[in-house]
Amino acid sequence: MSIKEFIATIPYNRISLRDLFAFEKSPVNILIALMTLSFLVMFALGVAIYLEHGHHAYGVSRQHPWGLLIAVYIFFVVSSTGLCIVGSLGDVFGFKDYMAVSKRAIFGSIVTIISGFAVIAFEIGHPVTMVIYNVLSPGLTSAIWWMGTLYGIYLTFMVVEFVFLLRNDMRMARYVGFFGLMFGLLAHSNLGGVFGFLNARPIANGVFYPTYFILTAFITGIFITFIILGFRYKLNFTEEIKKLLTGLAKIQALLISILIFFVSWKMLTDIYDGLPGRADVALHILGSWTFWIEVVLVMIVPMVVILRNMGENLKAIFWISLSGMIGIFFMRYNLVHDAQLKPLQMLKIKEYQLAPEWIHYFPSAAEIMISLGGLGLCILLYFIGSKLFNLDADAHH
Amino acid sequence: MARYAMALDYKNCIDCKACEVACKEENGILLGADKQRIWVGHGEIKGEYPFLDITSNTFMPSQCQQCETAPCESVCPTHATYYDENGVVRVDSEKCILCSYCMVACPYDARYVDDRTHIVDKCNFCSDTRLVRGETTTACQATCPTKVRIFGDLDDPESEISQVLRVREYFTLKPHLGTNPKLFYLT
Repeated sequence: MSIKEFIATIPYNRISLRDLFAFEKSPVNILIALMTLSFLVMFALGVAIYLEHGHHAYGVSRQHPWGLLIAVYIFFVVSSTGLCIVGSLGDVFGFKDYMAVSKRAIFGSIVTIISGFAVIAFEIGHPVTMVIYNVLSPGLTSAIWWMGTLYGIYLTFMVVEFVFLLRNDMRMARYVGFFGLMFGLLAHSNLGGVFGFLNARPIANGVFYPTYFILTAFITGIFITFIILGFRYKLNFTEEIKKLLTGLAKIQALLISILIFFVSWKMLTDIYDGLPGRADVALHILGSWTFWIEVVLVMIVPMVVILRNMGENLKAIFWISLSGMIGIFFMRYNLVHDAQLKPLQMLKIKEYQLAPEWIHYFPSAAEIMISLGGLGLCILLYFIGSKLFNLDADAHH
Repeated sequence: MARYAMALDYKNCIDCKACEVACKEENGILLGADKQRIWVGHGEIKGEYPFLDITSNTFMPSQCQQCETAPCESVCPTHATYYDENGVVRVDSEKCILCSYCMVACPYDARYVDDRTHIVDKCNFCSDTRLVRGETTTACQATCPTKVRIFGDLDDPESEISQVLRVREYFTLKPHLGTNPKLFYLT
């Protein structure tokens, strides 16, 4: 079978622009549609400002070169890896209870990583040069090179896996899905390595981030699964979906308890005996409200809600998954900002300057608009995909 | 082929900032403290009047430390940062993608975005200005009125820097990071 013939066998629905607007006009749907539209307009505006002013349009500086867009990129790729893990539970590892969400989760992993790439394209100063010299002059000691390259391979596998899932070819989907998952995990741990390799930044340096990224990806994937299935079934879940979500909720409780364990020990080892550059930064983090948003929304609230009924109260878990994703956003933002909190050059270099203490950063309007635009793009692509493809599990599952 | 390095007799520094100006002039660096390849840092005077600790007010000229194991080189995804034949850490403007990873990884805050070329630039010991013309001094060294800076080839035992490093004690910045800087602060 030629590639052309193979592509012709991929099942999809023929849709027109009119079909995209033919959704139920409930207040919630209209609100989401308007939000998505305004986010996309913001994306265009933010990009226009960036193209006009370059990095001057952002709140970044010499001491804080990575800002909101890096955090949002990480947010999206973590979501993608997480959805890939959730999708793989059924179609790679053969857990029948989770088959029903595989296709939707794998499609979600594709749209989230595309949104992440769309955001990072406006943070990397020369994206075209990157594509060329990533191939012609690969920096094999660079975690960014590995992360980018492996994510590229991962995306290819995800698309092929999704095609096999659409064609209901579960055997091939399993093989391709296995490699997709493997490359996804490798890419994602390399993203952790981007921070873990920073010898100059004791707060980030070490094995913590590469492993923590995989754990938090799984947690993020489960949050998003609750959200997309919650919208799909309007919170009136079928018995099959109830079983699936209850199982995922229990896994989530386990993962969050491991996360609490991880973060507690990270903080304790950071602070213990006051190592300069690490203990002071950790104490500073403990005093920041953004850290406590992360703790409350990702750890405490989900843990309490899930454990109250051992994962049976699915509607409540849907809502805490939404707030959990806000917490996950802060988790990514904190990670990027905290790594750059401590000035590397502690002497005054200008007259009338106060001695450097902590690096301050606040995202600019352009950064915020491009970030929200990434979310708008993600929702739009997912919506188009849900019209174009049958994302529900086929009947025999 | 050489192994260029710099020794700084930093206690002679009078913070006149002539080196900063000469660097900007020689290499066409844009104005502003955020755009400088080299700088003179100084600490706050500690203590309360009249018990002021004047030793805390030391002037500390600094710049790219020209590490032999440079973190900015190893994290670069496209080899835009590289060691040239003289051991100088340099930037290939064709290959820089402006990902800023080198800025995050450099322990000395020595890298900055150059708004002329839109790449992450740094000190290169005047390699593409003075050294390429066959001169053997850097702009900051040549202009310094108190002769703080000694620039030369570590592989040449007769060079002034080699001789000084044999007889004077010195330290390097953040040696525990294993970057092996080639800027030596004479004590």
